[in-house]
Amino acid sequence: MLRDITLGQYYPAQSVIHKLDPRVKLAATLVYIISLFIGMNVEIYIAAALFLVITVKLSKVPVSYITRGLKAIVLLIIFSAAFNLFLTSGETLVSFGPITITKEGARFAVFMIIRLIFLIMGTSLLTLTTTPNNLTDGLEKAFAILKVVKVPVHEIAMMMSIALRFIPILVDETDKIMKAQMARGADFETGNIIRRSKAMVPILVPLFISAFRRANDLAMAMEARCYHGSEGRTKMKPLKYTKRDACGYISLLLYLAVMIGLNIYAGGRVI
Amino acid sequence: MSIVESKNVSFVYAVHDENGNVVDSIRALNDVSLKVGQGEFITILGHNGSGKSTFAKHINAILFPSGGTIFVDGMDTQDGEHLLDIRQTAGMVFQNPDNQIIGTVVEEEVGFGPENLGLPTSEIWNRVVSALKSVGMFEYRKTSPNKLSGGQKQRIAIAGIIAMRPKCIVLDEPTAMLDPQGRAEVIKTLHELNEKEHVTVILITHYMEEVIDADYCFVMNGGELVMEGKPKDIFSNVEGLKNLRLDVPQVTELADELIKKGFPLPKGIIKREQLVEELIKLKNQGFKAPQSYREVEA
Repeated sequence: MLRDITLGQYYPAQSVIHKLDPRVKLAATLVYIISLFIGMNVEIYIAAALFLVITVKLSKVPVSYITRGLKAIVLLIIFSAAFNLFLTSGETLVSFGPITITKEGARFAVFMIIRLIFLIMGTSLLTLTTTPNNLTDGLEKAFAILKVVKVPVHEIAMMMSIALRFIPILVDETDKIMKAQMARGADFETGNIIRRSKAMVPILVPLFISAFRRANDLAMAMEARCYHGSEGRTKMKPLKYTKRDACGYISLLLYLAVMIGLNIYAGGRVI
Repeated sequence: MSIVESKNVSFVYAVHDENGNVVDSIRALNDVSLKVGQGEFITILGHNGSGKSTFAKHINAILFPSGGTIFVDGMDTQDGEHLLDIRQTAGMVFQNPDNQIIGTVVEEEVGFGPENLGLPTSEIWNRVVSALKSVGMFEYRKTSPNKLSGGQKQRIAIAGIIAMRPKCIVLDEPTAMLDPQGRAEVIKTLHELNEKEHVTVILITHYMEEVIDADYCFVMNGGELVMEGKPKDIFSNVEGLKNLRLDVPQVTELADELIKKGFPLPKGIIKREQLVEELIKLKNQGFKAPQSYREVEA
């Protein structure tokens, strides 16, 4: 179950998307998220789907690998769809007892599901095609301007990249602790939600302890290798824009223009 | 010239209770003085809690002595100005390979140190490539460290240090979490580095087999240096080592038992081939096993 979390994992491959500058990919992710909220009509969603399909194809990341990340948010999707389905007022479609499903509610629910799926697929594509180091380099460069107002951009970027690296290790660790507890008779699978979440507490404590110990070790290892913040640090892979990145930005602009155009064409119509 | 020189080093740390009051102070190192020459392969032996890891952290200026001084390549570790120079001169590899790998791709991991040194990009790449080649992990440069075995991870960690071109590498029980094959890989890599690139190696361990091929060996117990000498001489003292809760290599133990039974074998046998050779020599001399031994056999 825990192994299904692909969020924040890197999928090594040789593709155009992998080779893009992380700043382009960051911008693309941002634009894509915004574009999903531009409007609510079929044309826009078809365009968003097309964009996603093309990028996934170009990235050479197997679709099954991306959709695996969705499993982790199935509950979230179901919840938000249910809320939209039952709590939107409007023209009644069906009603049994106190529960009524409206036409608008049904529409919103469907769109919410699509939106969330696109959102997760789009954003996980960013981390799947960018090594964490590359990603944080991109973030550091993109937000370098904030250094003027004393935001520790480099430190935040470094923290993020380390957090990403430790996800699989901590997942493995959780798995190990769970198995150790199960071997001693712990039960994580039966009972209601409250009971099951109570059973998780004995996992969290050792997990936290080991995470702190790891953090301590890692800090020491970093210091031992002369890490002393961003000052006087050079890059092994400095970011440089190439022609490919220019093409990336242009196609991104085109995409945004198409989306806005489609929304104007649809006149703010829902569906 | 000595690369590491410690003079009467002591280290005391305080134990705090839950409210932060000092309840006890523990002396982890007591008056440790030793010298390590450039290009040597040194091991520091000791069981858990003997102070060997604490000492290792002093060489890399992660911990500072409470008393005495440590000089690394002539620099005093307590001199804040030389902190980065010292850490570059004496690179350190830790026990748990997972907790010291920062990069998510092997080559980025190896490049982390040189990046911190502020080297130009082309130089970083040169060093990463040569460091990976010298530990025999070049073909894995694009792999994620999570997909490697323990021994390979530890070799990557060593490459990460080599890329900083240190004069000396300190390894704090680098093989403790590895399987026998991984251990052999790491130790072989260290000997190659020592021979080909003349890097001083200070290996901290409690595995006797790793000590055999070292140039010189220090034994620690209770924060003090209790024995030193060539591995051969150290292992001649089987009883002494056992008193320190240390095992001797199996071959040495066997030879020692044979000597006790009256076999005229020399002391300090540390390799299997050596024992075999000595026994054949005895046989050719027409030596007959002593009475007491034959009884056991029957």
